[in-house]
Parts: sequence; C-alpha cells; structure tokens
Amino acid sequence: MEIIIPVILAIVAAFYFFNRSHFSPLPRRVSRATENTELIKVLLNLDDESLKKLFHLYGEQFGDGAARYARQTYLKWKAGEVRPNRETFRRFLLQLPKVMSFDLKCEVLRELREAYCARDSHRLTVYTDNWKEPLRPLVESIIEKAESAELPPFLQQRLRWLAEEDMEIAQVILAKSQARQSLEALSMLKEEFSNIEHLLDNTVGRRQVTHVLRLPLGTITLKIRKR
Amino acid sequence: MDDEIDDLVPQKQSLFPMTADDIVDNALHNLDEKQAQEVTKKAADEIVKIAVEKRKAEYRSDRAQEEMRNLINNANLLDQKVDDYRINSTFETATGTTSVEIKKSKSNTLILIAAIALFLLLAVILLVTRI
Repeated sequence: MEIIIPVILAIVAAFYFFNRSHFSPLPRRVSRATENTELIKVLLNLDDESLKKLFHLYGEQFGDGAARYARQTYLKWKAGEVRPNRETFRRFLLQLPKVMSFDLKCEVLRELREAYCARDSHRLTVYTDNWKEPLRPLVESIIEKAESAELPPFLQQRLRWLAEEDMEIAQVILAKSQARQSLEALSMLKEEFSNIEHLLDNTVGRRQVTHVLRLPLGTITLKIRKR
Repeated sequence: MDDEIDDLVPQKQSLFPMTADDIVDNALHNLDEKQAQEVTKKAADEIVKIAVEKRKAEYRSDRAQEEMRNLINNANLLDQKVDDYRINSTFETATGTTSVEIKKSKSNTLILIAAIALFLLLAVILLVTRI
C-alpha cells in the first residue's frame, strides 16, 4: 500500500516533466538593465530612413563624438554584443523624444507596438470549399485586437512621453492603420485560395498545403485540404 | 472593398479614411497648429503607405501564381517519369507564405501492402492452428 503514493507522485512528476511546456511559466522579473537593452534593440529596428534621422538628431543634441560612437556601436547594441549603459538609454528613449518630429515619434511607437503589443497565433484546418466560415471568428478577433491593442503599463510608466496628447493621437492612427492593413491583406485571400485549389486540382500524389497568414498583430496558420 | 472581404469582416467595422477625419478634428482642437499639421501629414502618409504595401502584395501574388503554375508542370512531368518523388516548395504570397509538399511513393505503398498481407497471413495461420 505504501508504495502506491510514491508511484502516483512519480507519475505526476513525469507527466509534469514531459508536458512542462504546456504549463504557463511564472511571470519572469526582468532587471531594469535588461529592460533598457531590449528597448534600445526595439528602437534600433527602425527603418533606414528613420534611423538616419535618429542619429542626426542624436548628433545635434549630444555632439558629434557621441553620435559617432552610437553609429559605430548600434549594430552591437542591436545584436546584444554590447549592453547600452543607462545614459544611452536615457538619451535615446527619454531625452530625444522631446525633440523628435511627430513623424519620427510615430515610427518609434510603431516599433514599440510591434514588439510589445501581444500577438495572436492560431492554427486551423480548412477546406478549399469552406474556408471563410471557420476563419471568420479569428479574423474578427485579430482586427479587433489591432484596433484596441495597447502598450503594456510598465512601458507607459517608463516612457512618459507616450502619454502625451500627440502620442495618443499617434496610437489611434497606427491602430487604425494596422486594422486597415489586416483588411487589405484579407481582401486578397480569395485569390490565394483559388490558386491553391487550382494546384490541388491539377497535381497528383499526396499533397500537403500550409498557408501562414501574417497580419500586423497576429498570424493564422492554415492547413488547407481538399475534399 | 471586395465582396469576399465584406463576407469575412464584421459590417460594423469602421474603416481608416473615415475615422482619420475624426482624429484630425480632435488634433485641431487640442494641438497647436504645427502639431495638427504633423498629425494630418502622418495620417495621409499612412494611407499612402497602405496603398504601397497593397501594390507590393499584388506583385507577390502575381509572382506566386506564376511559381505555382511552374510547380504544377514540374510535378506532373516528374509524375510521368518516376515512381517515387517528393517536392517541397514555398511561395511568398500577398498575405503570407504558402508551403506545399507533393509526394508519391510506390515503394512505400508496396511495403504497406506487403505488411498488410503478412499480417493477414499470420492471422489466418493463427486461426487455422487454433481450430
């Protein structure tokens, strides 16, 4: 009898060990330095034109030497090879936004939204003759998410400039823009399904078709079959 | 907007160009003139950006269609010439990435048939020996 309890415990432990990826991990506390490094990385994901404007502004505000160092080091910051110090963080993400154009701030905000707004990921099996119905609820949820997505509170507390009036408007512009991008993408799905159906109709053998639908705030992986 | 997307997307959805007016109105009320101008410009830029992205997506779609046609031809040619083949292709399309795998394996089918036949034979032998 006394052997039953250890056996049950061993089974439970083994079950947890082999399925540990399905259990939600405890929220990880990230140090301030790591948080700063991540934020700098996100900032440096700006497109080339915006990055050029950013470094120009950096030079204007903090001198040519500082700008030269930033230009030389930014790839290492981005790759995580060099950890930016607190001063670098303050300059890039607290002081520069005060003098950035609205356009540049919007681009920074776009990167922050890309990195910090939660993204959805769905998987679904659909048939070429009936894909709209099962896809509809996911589409609705992703578009709604694009409209309502907000940056996490910790970020808004750290980057106070995000709460200013012009940034609230920027949030609305970007949210509407992302929702619109999702709609535009979806408007092209019918043609893509028609292409896939044509492929399935005109080939023999065992066919497996997967389409990863990428939307601004989520992805839907569709396994496509023909009846 | 196309009919098919009207099917997919809830009709209550308000679209960007309509609400952009509201955003600009708000900006004009609460921001100074320079800021309001910047907001108006950014909203217009976003509309242009979306249009450009749509063109790029259409281009990707045309190219994917062409590549899929080539894949169909190649797969059918291969099917006429060999018994076993496997083709893996990936296409960058307007909305994402499509991955296709086409495979045919006569030898695998033969192995499967042989295995089933063997299993049936064993079952029959067992039945006969029990009787």
